[in-house]
Amino acid sequence: MASSRSLSPPDVESRLRAQFGDDITGFADQVGHAVATVTPGVYRDVCRFLRDEPDFSCDYCDFTSGVDWGPDRGFEVVTHLYSTTHHHNVRVKIALPHDEPVAPSIADLFPTSDWHERETAEMFGIRFEGHPQLVKLLLSEPFEGNPLRKDFALMTREAKPWPGAVEGEEEEEE
Amino acid sequence: MITEKTPLPSIQPVKFLLNWGRRYSLWVMNFGLACCAIVLIATSTSKHDFIRIGVIPFAHGPRQADLLVVAGTLTDKMPPALKRVYDQIPDPKYVISFGSCSNCGGPYWDSYSVTKGVDQIVPIDVYVPGCPPRPEALLHGIVKLQEKIKDEDIQEKFSGKLTVPVSS
Repeated sequence: MASSRSLSPPDVESRLRAQFGDDITGFADQVGHAVATVTPGVYRDVCRFLRDEPDFSCDYCDFTSGVDWGPDRGFEVVTHLYSTTHHHNVRVKIALPHDEPVAPSIADLFPTSDWHERETAEMFGIRFEGHPQLVKLLLSEPFEGNPLRKDFALMTREAKPWPGAVEGEEEEEE
Repeated sequence: MITEKTPLPSIQPVKFLLNWGRRYSLWVMNFGLACCAIVLIATSTSKHDFIRIGVIPFAHGPRQADLLVVAGTLTDKMPPALKRVYDQIPDPKYVISFGSCSNCGGPYWDSYSVTKGVDQIVPIDVYVPGCPPRPEALLHGIVKLQEKIKDEDIQEKFSGKLTVPVSS
């Protein structure tokens, strides 16, 4: 019998830390959602644990996406899990190096993640190891480059710089 | 000077009657790609109602259509479909580019995935600017197109010279 008890972010943190210890490298409470940063090595185990542990029962993968933090901080892969029985949200993040980012695939654990990982792969150039078919999802076949990377050059902007205000600059002028 | 070899559409009263009939019976093909499609559909409904100026909504397929309205953002994966629809429309055919996205890319002018201007794919008769344009703007565009059809030489229209895209 499924309980309707949802775990608060501190509960999630203590349970994950008890299970994975130092592999949980960071934790945050964002708008009531638990956000755990884990090492890439235990990423799959954390996702499987969140799915199979009855207290978590995170049976729904909302999305998998990526963040480009630049050459110094590298990439981040974010997976958002949700429990349809307990109604709590857990986000799992892993940090990856900027050169040759490789992440483990969780497409076998959450079928939703299959297409999301394909999109993240084409947009950020992150390779998902163990993905059944890591081919382009949205971009056309001849497209070259990873358009959501910060260093991706937009040809139109090379020809004509952004004509409007740039974030942060107009505040300095005032 | 009219002789027996003069093509029928070149004779002034015939030309007038032919173009008068053609310009007030434009069967429109809805090529809605984004939010502009909502305005296009709204223009066809009771408030603005473009059937009162002779535009018939909506052709069931391109082979029945006279007018193609490209309304919305054309992404780089879409041109083959647009070209195919355009090629399926029988001559004489007209194209209205509706909204900033189909005119020039609009707010996606620097995007990695948007075609900047539908006129790279098909020849455009009338451009309607706006993001999205008001239904009145589309009505104005249709009136402009009808003025164009009014003075048209149907032989030139059928010659194929006008169906070459500007960029090719």
